[in-house]
Amino acid sequence: MKNTIKVERAKKNWTQEDLARQIGISRQSINSIETGKFIPSTVLALKMAEVFGVTVESIFQLEKQD
Amino acid sequence: MEQSKKIANRNSIIFALIYGATYLPAVWLLKHRVFGQPISIIIAIVPIIAFSIFILKLIKAFSVMDEVKQRVQLEAVVIGFSLTAMLVMILFLLSLCDISNPGWFGYANLLGYCWLFYFVGWFISKKKYGI
Repeated sequence: MKNTIKVERAKKNWTQEDLARQIGISRQSINSIETGKFIPSTVLALKMAEVFGVTVESIFQLEKQD
Repeated sequence: MEQSKKIANRNSIIFALIYGATYLPAVWLLKHRVFGQPISIIIAIVPIIAFSIFILKLIKAFSVMDEVKQRVQLEAVVIGFSLTAMLVMILFLLSLCDISNPGWFGYANLLGYCWLFYFVGWFISKKKYGI
């Protein structure tokens, strides 16, 4: 699964720390999700979509191997 | 929320230290001093109580962790438990072959190995998720 969290953060000019604070998780966890090492739960994905003001599908996309 | 996470984490660390601070003196006293059985049992119970409170605080801290950290802890426990179970099984099978070394693999050592395996699992899982 790929994601566009880094792009969305750049659009808002947010650091990982800023995003982490907004959705209530640690900066390391944001890094883990952003680099694709951890797939977040639906709740966390929805929270991210909400703070970015976009849909979940625009942040997370399935890849062929998924 | 962030404050409650910090408090839960701090409490688990405090009780881990209290457990360590009661366990080591209790072991030393029971090994090197001679007490009557009731006193020995009381000395042995103190670290058990401290450890029980530590477990409760650890579970509380686990429940307020974010999901990535929960996954790391879960995998650390799975790896730690599996390796400990494997070690106990190996020791049991070796004991059936009349091969045993209580100096290295007594109950006290097993407790140490159990924690060691948990930290091995924790390290592996932290590396896997990059946190």
